[in-house]
Amino acid sequence: MQNSYLPQKAVIEDIIQESPDTKTFTLSLSGDKADSILKYKPGQFLMLSLPGYGEAPFTFASLPDPNGGFQISVRRIGALTKALHTLKIKAIVGVRGPYGNTFPLAKMKHKDLLFVAGGCGIAPLRSLIQYALKQRKAYGKIEIIYGCRTPKDRFYKEEMELWEKNKDTQTHLTVDEPDPTWHGERGVVCVLFPKIKLNPKTSFVFLCGPAIMIKFAIRDLLKLGFREENIYASLERHMQCGTGKCGHCYIKDKYVCRDGPNFSYSEMKQLEIES
Amino acid sequence: MLKKTAIEKISQLAAVLMEKGTLLAPVKEVSGHNFAEINDPQKVDLSFYNTIMSPKGAFFPHKEDFVKYKIGKPLSEAEPAVLNLKPAFLFGVRPCDVKSFEIMDIHFDAAGIIDPYWRFRREATTIFGYAYDLNQPVDSADFYNTLGIYAADPEGSDIFMVKKDKELLLKAITKKGENLLSELAVLKDGSAADEKYFTEYVNKGKEYKTRFMTLDQEAIAKKLEDIFDNTDFWTKMSAACLSCGICTFVCPTCYCFDICDDTLFGKGTRRRVWDACMFTDFTLEASGHNPRTQVYQRLRQKISHKYSYHIRKYGVISCVGCGRCTRYCPVNIDIYSIVEAALKA
Repeated sequence: MQNSYLPQKAVIEDIIQESPDTKTFTLSLSGDKADSILKYKPGQFLMLSLPGYGEAPFTFASLPDPNGGFQISVRRIGALTKALHTLKIKAIVGVRGPYGNTFPLAKMKHKDLLFVAGGCGIAPLRSLIQYALKQRKAYGKIEIIYGCRTPKDRFYKEEMELWEKNKDTQTHLTVDEPDPTWHGERGVVCVLFPKIKLNPKTSFVFLCGPAIMIKFAIRDLLKLGFREENIYASLERHMQCGTGKCGHCYIKDKYVCRDGPNFSYSEMKQLEIES
Repeated sequence: MLKKTAIEKISQLAAVLMEKGTLLAPVKEVSGHNFAEINDPQKVDLSFYNTIMSPKGAFFPHKEDFVKYKIGKPLSEAEPAVLNLKPAFLFGVRPCDVKSFEIMDIHFDAAGIIDPYWRFRREATTIFGYAYDLNQPVDSADFYNTLGIYAADPEGSDIFMVKKDKELLLKAITKKGENLLSELAVLKDGSAADEKYFTEYVNKGKEYKTRFMTLDQEAIAKKLEDIFDNTDFWTKMSAACLSCGICTFVCPTCYCFDICDDTLFGKGTRRRVWDACMFTDFTLEASGHNPRTQVYQRLRQKISHKYSYHIRKYGVISCVGCGRCTRYCPVNIDIYSIVEAALKA
């Protein structure tokens, strides 16, 4: 029997400074369990740990690299993430997973896709965006709405320019607090909704960001005619085990770590989520 | 198979069990009885009503080490903690607590991912159930009858024990119990009269009444869903609550835990420790977001988890009516009364 609480090691192969408080780590895996971790699907997460600093969940921020690696983006916010940010290339961390569900990959095929991300909420959606762009012809139009606090807090700048080079693929950006370099939109993600050119009746929407953003973005999307069963949000909860045992992430009879973290708005309504 | 021993000679039985493995039995502590690993057979004490802490710690200890490591050394040198898997004997468990193990089995051993610590300990352990003393009064906090459990139910035990005057009758319930009982030469064979006494005692247990209400699983599960938004109700129910968490620590079916790293002078352990949904920071995320900041939300979570969400998830109520949470609550919050009030809300 596999003891799912025990981590295996992963090696930091590359570190990219995305923003003043966020780094993207490229991790490589070897050993027996490497393959089972690398079979992860977009939207799933892993538990990452450092001896002495504990464990925390991170959603995979990229598709797996077939040569045995993946990326996660980490904001420096607590004890573990502060320690992670001090690590250098070749440092070893503990990982276990993958955990959680994925997005409705089959249902979203041939449909228009809308992504709405706030702050580091872009990280969990990036793997799904990469997944869709990898087989670009299998989908209709793709629009990505991304809001962050300041222009400096934007992640994946160069990659986003490449995303836009795909046919029928658009990104819309906004910031809360512009600086002199910023000539784009200002305000929360909802200010960009009038720019959406997708057919709301048939599009799939994927949201990730602060709880308050998800709440208001869904409200506005429903007004625009998007269907509640086609709106998906990646939820965040305090998680400790990833396996539905420890009780921290329960919302009613759903465990965010096993039944989620990705829920349709139809499901979220049933859960009457406390926020 | 039925065996017996004089209660005053219980330490002889304890000594034999200690030779065979680890013995966990009630011992008298300052404020009451608790299960403890026995080092001195004289310490086993059956003169208790029920233990303060539930016996869940036998399979799900307060602290469970996962990995040991040294700071600054590579993770590959970290060592998984080794489980002591000697045969264990859990001696003197009340029927309602025995029932709690079955409820916990569903969560730890049957719900997709198996918890190896729970399973291995459970497999290594023989359970000696022990009927309540039907000549003693029922504690007013108890309500196990409401959950369909009676004071002398042998189900779930490997060996079930009842008190007969100054003797203890031990009956094998499972094959595991029978194998063990046949090896215990320190016990005497029970007579036909003892068999009759045992059977009558089990039946009489049904007349030993705790608090009781008719509880339909579907009805209470639905009702708690319906009153989720009744903030007035939950605020009233939780008005006195101190968020101390004692209800969850003494509970035989509360299983929430934290996984944390403890380090001291460069040596570290990753372990799990009991946690409680009644604590303010239970749902606090690193970002500062906390979905359950209010005490009414946390009490609602606890009651609804046991009497609604658990039914939806696993098909059973996550409570055995042992009465501990009511007995030890410093402000007299009573789960039975809350469930009763919820049905009328």
